[in-house]
Parts: sequence; structure tokens; C-alpha cells
Amino acid sequence: MLEISNLRVRYGESEVLKGINLKVDRGEILSIVGESGTGKTTLGLSIMGLLRERSANASVEGKILLGGVNIRELDERELRRIRWRRISMVFQNAEDALNPLYTVLDQVKEPLAKVCSDEAAEKKARHLLETVGFPPNRIGAYPHQLSLGEKQRALIAMAFICDPDVVILDEPTSSLDLISRGDIIRLLRELGENRAMLLITHDLATAARLSDRTAVLYGGYILELAPTQLLLSEPRHPYTRGLIRSYPDMRRTKDLQGMKGRVEFVEKGCPFYPRCTQAIETCLIKEPELNEIGDGRWIACHRGGIIPLLEVRGLTKSFDTFRAVDSVDLTLFEGETLALIGESGAGKTTLARLIMGLLEPTEGEILLEGKRVGERGKEFFRKVQMIFQNPRESLSPRLNVLEAVREPLDVQGIGAKEERRERVKAVLEEVELPSDERFLSRYPHELSGGEVQRVVIARALVLNPKLIIADEPTSSLDPSVQAKIMKLLNDIQERRGLGMLFITHDVALARKISDRVAVMRSGRIVEEGRSELILSSPSHPYTKALLRAATN
Amino acid sequence: MGEVLSELSKDSFGRIGLGVFSLFLLLALVSPLITGDPMLHSTSVLNPPSSEHMLGTNDVGQDIWSRLIRGVRTSILVAVGVGILTTLIGAIVGVSAGLIGGIYDEVLMRIVDALLAIPAIVVLILIASFLRPTLWTLILLISILHWQGGARIMRAQTLSLKERAYISAARAFGAGGGYLILKHVMPGLGPILISSFIYSARMAVFMEAGLAFIGIADPTTVSWGAMMHHALKFYYLPVWKWWLLPPGAALSLLILSFTFLGYSLERIIEPRLRNA
Repeated sequence: MLEISNLRVRYGESEVLKGINLKVDRGEILSIVGESGTGKTTLGLSIMGLLRERSANASVEGKILLGGVNIRELDERELRRIRWRRISMVFQNAEDALNPLYTVLDQVKEPLAKVCSDEAAEKKARHLLETVGFPPNRIGAYPHQLSLGEKQRALIAMAFICDPDVVILDEPTSSLDLISRGDIIRLLRELGENRAMLLITHDLATAARLSDRTAVLYGGYILELAPTQLLLSEPRHPYTRGLIRSYPDMRRTKDLQGMKGRVEFVEKGCPFYPRCTQAIETCLIKEPELNEIGDGRWIACHRGGIIPLLEVRGLTKSFDTFRAVDSVDLTLFEGETLALIGESGAGKTTLARLIMGLLEPTEGEILLEGKRVGERGKEFFRKVQMIFQNPRESLSPRLNVLEAVREPLDVQGIGAKEERRERVKAVLEEVELPSDERFLSRYPHELSGGEVQRVVIARALVLNPKLIIADEPTSSLDPSVQAKIMKLLNDIQERRGLGMLFITHDVALARKISDRVAVMRSGRIVEEGRSELILSSPSHPYTKALLRAATN
Repeated sequence: MGEVLSELSKDSFGRIGLGVFSLFLLLALVSPLITGDPMLHSTSVLNPPSSEHMLGTNDVGQDIWSRLIRGVRTSILVAVGVGILTTLIGAIVGVSAGLIGGIYDEVLMRIVDALLAIPAIVVLILIASFLRPTLWTLILLISILHWQGGARIMRAQTLSLKERAYISAARAFGAGGGYLILKHVMPGLGPILISSFIYSARMAVFMEAGLAFIGIADPTTVSWGAMMHHALKFYYLPVWKWWLLPPGAALSLLILSFTFLGYSLERIIEPRLRNA
């Protein structure tokens, strides 16, 4: 119905849309989501051919096909004829979109003025206003007499009055309370049958409830396009994931997380690279193309979306006849926390030690960033670090804080002496420890449990790893210190895209900090999936038992 | 090293041990300046102390003072020589066996067992009485017969250190075997190395003095043990006061300084003991 190809819009010097390709079929609702300033509204206005009204120096390139006709080639007169009759729009900002000098009824019937008789128009307008739930006794009122919800309904009625083929909805629900929002969404879904609708919103919940497919817009590009449910449950682009993570959701259990940096204009390369934690050199130079990756999903990312950081395949460790780890398969994505839960003796720590190469596996393989891990060189440990269970024992009693935190740098031979010292101080500050001389020269036995734990975390972080395997890192801490440390790790994840394999037997903690959960028992992974799903409706009896024990 | 010395001087045992040992060391170094020729025979035999001979003379007219001071050299040389050698052999064998394990460990430990079963003193007496070894040969002999106990303890400690979480942690930073041995295993062995050194040094001083005392020694070596050996022949004369007692007292004092040093060093190397 509506097909947009290679649409480019610039305001003077700055290009706001950089080659958008979209197709919306009849009966389909497509959401465009993204933060403010990513070009969503510009997209809607350019389809309507209304950009010039908004900004005199706007220039548009590309094709916008409406039922096979390129509306970009139409002159203003022809455009006026199809506008509203074939393509209409519910404008953002219901407050100002109505003309204060006309009554509601007059405004809703106005587009019909040249189509049919006034009587027929009024009848149709009344009917439509009723359908959208506008109170019939208020149709003679002026905009300033209406509530916001009533205005929004009036605007919707206006957009649908000519029975258009394509409707563009620009934030149709953003000014409404939750209950009216539900009503409007239901209404729009009914009205949307048999039409192509484009929903522009920053509200993921509205997109989820209304649209069939969702496109994620950022910096003038579509970064990801997929069936809405799939996009929201398994985002593949790091931006999409960041967007979802920063959106409060009733079901999700992990704390809110944002993205590093802020929306900024990028001249060249992937628009998201300044905020991306997995950017590589190509991302700075070349714009990514939107490619199909199956399941009706499209993604624009040089790295093919969020990369799997760690993959464990068929990993087995036998001690004589006892299988401590039994053909375990796990995948951990960049910037993600995977909680590994299970009772003591389930093989969690053995699995961690296998990944670190502290134990040799009997069978199976481990892949880091897609490459098979064989002999672990220094390179490996620069990317993967471990926080050991029992922090006090993982510090040598003979090394003071400075020496202990510097040890990874010493081993890796990074930087000169002074530089190492600076890095130690910086990382200590990052974990909220003092970095003065007195503290640096302290020995482990002079530190409190919380301090020791932070020193251990600082040691793991000082190499800037991409992946941390944390084995019960907070089991010895007070809840208040634990909360601080978990917040810190979450922040680092947000800033650096740290992947975390978090081993714990504390189900409540796992629920709060993880994106996904894997349940381990007797060396096997019995259940794995998104935390909110596994921990609210587990399917394996063992997970159910764990949860029961945790909630009692 | 400077750090260890300054730490040592903070501790009273360390101060005493260091002071006494330094005094002996100084004596050993400057002995030619403050003594005459200890081998020089004279006609004045078995003289009591006088202005000419501070501690009198022995049966062949040698100056006892000169011999006492020259004897410091012998004792310290034996102590340090055997201390270093036994600790070194023990550490190399013990640490490598602990780290490498397997057949290598098996073979070495059986050798250690065999050596432990041999009565070292008897063997030493037998060999020494045949060879009449020079001081250097004696050091070598004592060392070869005495490293096995230390090696055993160091192997056990290495095995226990190997399993420590901080060694795993260092491996998880990418550390290799050499780094682990130098940075973690050796310092972890520190107290044991020190006590092994001190134990061997003390034992060696005894051993050398003992062999000389029972008369199995190179007669050209000036030794406290040999002095006592000769002095005892004249038990019926009052010479024991200045011939027998001074070397005995010097021997005790030197051994005491080793004990104090060992005690103090152990506390420095193990910071956890410091505030205890």
C-alpha cells in the first residue's frame, strides 16, 4: 500500500533521514520507534508532503509510493487531492492540532466539505465521533472546552473521516492516561483493519499492543525491523536492546539500564557507533545496510547485531566416572547478564573454571567472539576475567592493595609503572574505594569484607574485559554492600557492554540482575530463558522447587 | 633487601639477632687486622692471659685470641654455605616436584625417602675421617646429606600453595609458570625458605664444630670445635677458662643470633603476623 524507498530528508546542511526503505501493506500496522530527535516525526511529515510547511529549507529525495503512485512527483494541487482522502495523519500534540475557532463537529466534517453534501458529512462525522468514543453531547464544544482525551479522540475521528488507505499516527497516545490509552489502542486497532497504518511512537508498550511490525529509527537510519513481539522479546540490535532496557516494563525484573552517551549527530559511519559498546573500526567508516536475517527480521549492523560473546558447546568434565559438568550448551551475548543458578554441587563453579581454562574439559568446545578457544594466551585473559568465590582467599596475603590490583597489568605487561599506578587508582575509584596512599599500602587482612570484595572486582575490571565470570561475588557481603556492587556492575555493563556470567544460588538476586537465567542441576542445564519468563512461569520441576524455596 | 633490613631493625629480636650476627661478620672481615697469625708457633706454651696474649697461648704456643677470632670465619662460612646450598637444592627439588607432579615427583620423593633413611651423621663421620676434607669439601658434604628434609617440606607447601585461590586468580590474569613461581610460590615459601636456611646454618655450625671436636677435621683449618677438642686434653690445667670457654660461648652466641634472625624474618615475610 505504502512503499518508501531511499527517502532522504535534509534540513539545510544536516541530513535527518538517510535513505529509509519501508513497506506497509493493507491491514498492517507498522511502528516506528526511537528516541526524540531521531527523525520519526520528519518521516511522517515527509510522507504527508507537509515538510515544506514546517521548515522552508527542507529538501526531500527518494520515492514515496502510494498504491503505486509516487506522490513525490505530484504537484501541490494533486497532492491536496489525495491528502486526507487517501492518506491522513493524527498529529502529535493534540493540544495544538485543533483550530480553536471551530467546534469539534465542524472540524471533523471539514475534510468532507468538497466530497459530499453537508448533511451527509455531518451524519458521517457524528457517527465516527461516536465510534471513537467521543461524548455525543460535547460535539458542539470548542477545543478549549475539551479534555485532552477528548481532543485526541476528535483528532482520530478527523483522520479517519475520509476513509483513507494510509493513516499516519504520530504519538497518538502519548498525552493520555493509561486507561484512555487502552481504549484508544483498541479503537485504532479496529479502525486500522483494511488500511495501512504507520505508528510513530517512543512508547514501546503502545507499539507492542498495536503494531504487527516495528522499525527502530536512529540517526536517520532504520537499525532494526522485525515483527513487534520478536523485536521486543529478542532485540538483535544493541540500540533496540538499550531502548527496551531503559523502558519500564511491568514484567521485566532486571533494573532499568540505559545506553551510554546521548543522541548525537554522526557525520559518517554507523549513527549508533558513539554509543555502541561493540563498535569496531568499520562502524566508524561505513554506514551499515539493512539486511534480512530470517524470520522476517532486518538489521543494520556491521557486526550482525548483538554478538555472542561466549558460546559453550557440549562442554563436559568428568572426574573418573562422575560427570561434574555434563554436555552444557550456553550462549552469552555482549552486554548481557546470564545468571547461572542451582544448588551447591550442581557444577556451576566447575563450569566457570572450565571456561577460564583452570580445568581441562573432557569434551566440548568454548568459543569466544565466535572463535574457538584453544590454548589460552594472554589475549584471552584480557577479554575474559573471573571474580572468584571467596574474595579474601583470592588475594595473596603478601600483596597490598596497589600490588594486588596492579597484578593483572603486571602479568599482561600493560603500560609503564606510573601508568599502571594511575589505572589502579582509576579503577579503585570506579569501584568506590579510596585511592590514597594509605589505602594503597594496606594488606588484605586489614580490609573489611566489602572492601576485599571491591578490590577483587577492581582486579577483574582493571584489564577492561568484555566478559566477567562472577562466581558468587556477593555471597559474603551485607545486603547494602551487595546492592551497591550490583549497581556498579550494572553501570559498567551499560558503559562498556560487559557480558556477565553470574553464578549464584540466590534466586531473588538472579531475578533482579539478569537478562537471562540458566538453571543447572547435577551438571546439566535443565532450563534456560529470559529471566522474567523462567522465574515467573518455570516449566522444569527443579526450577519450580528452587522458586518455591526462594519465595518461602 | 634494604626493606627487609629496615624492617628487621624495627623488631627487638631482629635487632639483637642482626646486631650479634653483624658483629661476628665484622670480626670475620677485620680479623687479620686485630689478630696475629693464628698458626704461628711460639715457645711460650699454655700461658695464661697476658698483655701479649689476650687469652693466653695453647699447647704449641699459638695465640688463642687470634685463633678464636679466625674461627668466626670458619663458622660463618660453613653456616652460610650450607644454608644456601641446602635451601637451594631443597627448593629446586621440592618446588619442581610439587608443581610438575607425576612420575618426576614420584622419583624425586623416593630419592628423598632413601636419603632420609641414611643416618647422615654416621656417614659424614665416616667420609670425613677418610677424606679429612677441606672446609669447602665439608660444606658440600654436609649440604648433600641434608637437603632432603627441606625439600619435603617445600614440596608439601608448594602443593598447598598451588591450590590457593590467589594462584588461580593470577592464572586467570594470564600468568605463566615462571611468574607464578617467582611472585606467588616463592614468597609463599618465604618463611619456610628462611627457616630452612636458618636451620641448616645452625646445624652446619654444630656439625662442623662437632666433627672438629671429635678430631675429624682438616688440621690447617682454624675452628672453634678443634680448639675445644685440643683444650679438653688439658682438663687438669686451669687453661679451660680461657681456652675452652671462649670458643664455646662464641658458638652459642652465633647460633643464638641465627635463631633470633629466623624468628624475626619470618614475621616480616608474613605480614599477617606483624600486628599479632
